[in-house]
Amino acid sequence: MGTMGIRRNGSALRAAAALLAAGTTALAAAACGIADAGESSVAHKSELTIGVNTDQPGVGSRTGGTYAGFDIDVAREVAARLHVTGSHVRFAPVTSKTRESLIEKGKVDLVVASYSITPERKLDVAFAGPYYVAHQDILVRGSDAATVKNVHDLAGKRLCRVAGSVSYPRVHDEIGVAALPADVGEREGYAACLDGLTANRLDAVSTDDLILAGLAAKAVREGHKVAIVNAPFSDEPYGIGLRKDDIDGCEKVNKALTGMYQDGTMPRLLHKWFDPAGLKVTTTVPQFEGCDEA
Amino acid sequence: MTAVQQAPAGPPGAPSGTAAGPAVPAAGAAPPERPPAGRLRRAAGAEPAGIARALPRTVAGRIRALTGAVAVVLVALLVVAWIAIGDARHGVKVIGKDAGPQVVATSDMYFQLSDMDAQLANALLAGAAPGGGRDQSLARYDQDRQLAGKALLKAAKLARGTTEDDTARELLDGLGRYERLAAQALLLDQQAGRTSGRPPKQVLDVYRQATDMMKLDLLPKAYNLTLDNGTLVRHTYEDKRSDVRSGALWVVVTGVVLLAVLLGLQAYLARRFRRLLNPALAVATLGALVLVAGCAAMLGGQADHLRRAKEQGFDPILSLSRARAISNSANADETRFLLDPARSDAYEQVYLKKSQTVLYLKAGNLDEYNTAVQKGLSFGGGRAPFLGFLGTEAGRAADPDRPADTDDALRRVLADYQKVQQNDHRMRTLTDGGQPAQAAAARSASTADFTRYDKDMQSLIGLHWGAFEKAVKDGEHGTGGWYAVLPVAGLVIIVLALAGVRPRLAEYRWQS
Repeated sequence: MGTMGIRRNGSALRAAAALLAAGTTALAAAACGIADAGESSVAHKSELTIGVNTDQPGVGSRTGGTYAGFDIDVAREVAARLHVTGSHVRFAPVTSKTRESLIEKGKVDLVVASYSITPERKLDVAFAGPYYVAHQDILVRGSDAATVKNVHDLAGKRLCRVAGSVSYPRVHDEIGVAALPADVGEREGYAACLDGLTANRLDAVSTDDLILAGLAAKAVREGHKVAIVNAPFSDEPYGIGLRKDDIDGCEKVNKALTGMYQDGTMPRLLHKWFDPAGLKVTTTVPQFEGCDEA
Repeated sequence: MTAVQQAPAGPPGAPSGTAAGPAVPAAGAAPPERPPAGRLRRAAGAEPAGIARALPRTVAGRIRALTGAVAVVLVALLVVAWIAIGDARHGVKVIGKDAGPQVVATSDMYFQLSDMDAQLANALLAGAAPGGGRDQSLARYDQDRQLAGKALLKAAKLARGTTEDDTARELLDGLGRYERLAAQALLLDQQAGRTSGRPPKQVLDVYRQATDMMKLDLLPKAYNLTLDNGTLVRHTYEDKRSDVRSGALWVVVTGVVLLAVLLGLQAYLARRFRRLLNPALAVATLGALVLVAGCAAMLGGQADHLRRAKEQGFDPILSLSRARAISNSANADETRFLLDPARSDAYEQVYLKKSQTVLYLKAGNLDEYNTAVQKGLSFGGGRAPFLGFLGTEAGRAADPDRPADTDDALRRVLADYQKVQQNDHRMRTLTDGGQPAQAAAARSASTADFTRYDKDMQSLIGLHWGAFEKAVKDGEHGTGGWYAVLPVAGLVIIVLALAGVRPRLAEYRWQS
């Protein structure tokens, strides 16, 4: 009788202990889940792979294994403010076609690649910043600077049209300026536009002012005279792309960007890269998009 | 006190987080729990611990051990529940009373700043002619400035960390510089002695400096400051909501352990003493069941109140306030478009950008955008066919907790928005057709439509305010009495349990 009672008693306690253990396991699993999410946020990573452009002189370009440009400097500085420096920062080339999928697959942690924030893209990735609001502008030969004052003066001029780029359609279709197309393949890109401009095969190149400034600096180095018109006609908010659910990381990057404007780092980088081309840059912090907007 | 002393005793001490050890067999668990049992018995006014030296291998020892286990687990349950209620109350307080409403207040700063610049443009466009509306515009300008100053002060108080502090300080500094430029533009305009028509070039030059500064310097900082402060609310919400939910889980886990121990005691007594049921113990078990179920349900409800306050209150209020502020500054860009024809291209582009922030439809220019907007803005059932702030709001239509009437209110806002865009289109067509006077007249005539849009937007925001306040009130009321319920319920359960075992122990004493 007594043994029976003890056994029953013991089984009750054992059941209680088992339940407790199960509950503890469940909670521990939940806690681990949270910790995992935290670790994959760029806010807590000890190494960062940053997607950048390789074909935009002055903004993001690669010669040999070395990356250089405004975007590269911004990326390094943001990484440093996330406490990742030196060889722990790796760059990986991205293109406008691969950016979203590389972020979604986790192949890159951040994308700093003249990446305009749009409502459609915000459905797939999160954006910190913008770190700069670029504007579509026009680059002409120095001798034409007096006659081309704004986008309407491009009527009748030969304007570089790069396959796959929205810059030409914006001038021709959206603003309705009767510019003449001078075609360039997608692979040759805006570098070929610059060659065409200096060789007199076309009259004007129009795309984001930061990219134009990079081209202009290159032309000047090669001994050509070109000029940026400084008549912006669109806003291109350059954001830093992150995984869609990494809100903590997005907030941390925004904080880093705010700090970079406040302590003068960003104005210094802007002047360093774009003053030589005669571009008027804005040195105050842009209006951020916000990280938790659906 | 008792809890602290008893916690490391045995397996029931596990909920406090220390043990999680192997399932300790009953015999091993018993000895250390003796003293607590004795304490509780004394507390309940039972006999002194004369029999406390009895070995736990005896029946009486086992009963005491099990009773002690009941006490330990019960205290653990109460502590866990107490902490979870504290988390819930803190979450509701931060979101509902402290940071939440203040962040919303600072988001109005964006509206007031952009309205200052709009009123300055209005005043300059109106000229000094009596009845031209300049005084009215300037009165509103002053009112905006007062409110913006107040909101800035609040934002500065909320700011945590040097980055936010610096932003607030830069904003204060910038506001001073903006005011200087505004005063300069108004003075120059007065000295020009014009009564109506477009202001002279030197006035426009100063105005351009002022409006550029507002657009490129002040407004972004005001916006970013609200975003920064909003992260505080988001973090509190996520931390506290997950605390409350895991608290509810802990309550259930410790509650199940408590019930198991109570049932084990009941079964042991039934075996040992050949009684069918120990009534006092049965009532204690029932009481524990009610306590655990009630507490878990209350905590689940709290997590839900927090979610409603955040997702149907705070979030939409903040994003719709932004939409309203951006709409207002886009409306002012129409004035600037007429005021400064040299920059009309830029102002038109900015108007398109701002419109697309509020309601996004793919379009390269305003013609295309207006056509797309007029095609219809229906929503409901899944994702809305448009994005932007209003698209996000339409996307909330799927949430069953959405406050009543918001769908209708949003439909009204969208209809107003179509009208506003249509008016804009007419004004620009007149300008392009070389009829600036008619364009200006069309602009004045469309003021009423914009005012209606703004009013309907405010009532939509008001509906979310109602939902916010209700969720916060529910959250406050939901936990109110529980700080009293917990100790009382705990005392009742332990007294009932002791009342249940005491006669059995007394009965057993002569046997041993």
